[in-house]
Amino acid sequence: MKKTQRHTLNCRSVYKHICENLDADIDSAKCRRIRAHIEECENCTAYLDSLKKTVYLYRAYPTPLVSTNAHKELIAKIPFATVSEKKRRSLG
Amino acid sequence: MNPLTTRAHHNKAHPLKNLPDERLIEDARNGNVHAFETLVKRYEQMVYGFSFKMCRNKEKADETLQDTFINVYKNLQQFNGNSKFSTWLYSIVTNNCLMNRRKRKMDQEMVSLDEPPVEEGAHHHGTIPSWEDTPAEKMMNTELRSRLDTSIQKLPQDYRVVFILRDIEGQSIEETAQILKLSIPAVKSRLRRARIFLREQLNDYMVQ
Ligand SMILES: [Zn+2]
Repeated sequence: MKKTQRHTLNCRSVYKHICENLDADIDSAKCRRIRAHIEECENCTAYLDSLKKTVYLYRAYPTPLVSTNAHKELIAKIPFATVSEKKRRSLG
Repeated sequence: MNPLTTRAHHNKAHPLKNLPDERLIEDARNGNVHAFETLVKRYEQMVYGFSFKMCRNKEKADETLQDTFINVYKNLQQFNGNSKFSTWLYSIVTNNCLMNRRKRKMDQEMVSLDEPPVEEGAHHHGTIPSWEDTPAEKMMNTELRSRLDTSIQKLPQDYRVVFILRDIEGQSIEETAQILKLSIPAVKSRLRRARIFLREQLNDYMVQ
């Protein structure tokens, strides 16, 4: 048995909630306990940081832009005539 | 083609691009082609970017972009204004993305996330170098990009879409739930598992 087990189990329960901490600071007793643990625990601090880094890397991935051509092709495929014709018929 | 329904291209400058979504939708419903084109211009990058992030492929993103706006046009009458237009749009893109995927049966090595992938004691790796100081462009080399692509493609679609909507696109938990017709606890649980999974996939970028 690892001597860090007690500590690890404690951290595991923190891991379960750590992600929600990335979102909002909910001011519940549970969240305060989690924050208190994270502040004192190097492992959990590093883990939380690595989760933030994961999100950061995905956000930093460059998104390609819609080309002028793709825009033109898109507009050409919208079935404008069909629908407005239907509407005109239903109105008339 | 019926000459009555042929689209007329006016060169006259339209103030359409300053109108709010609701007004453009109303005009588009009444057959105003330019109002719809303005909506397309306003949202095409969001739709394209999102579908690219989902399928990591430009051709598929193009296809999804077209399918999405065709569906939007056909279903414009169904938009009830109870949600934001962008929320409604995201739900249509999501459906199109997932449908294109099924059509192709392209799911590669998917993993099961029924069990959380966190191993006990797997995170004892000390401190992390200060990555926040490194500009994103410097970090984003070809190798890292391809790792980010393959990692996210291993993530089942139901989890990937939550991660992208919430963490990349910046939709709120509530909006994500609305887009995917999921409960808030379900969104949170998928988000948590997706983040943990991706973080494990990038493990060697964390310890240096
Ligand atoms: Zn800890």
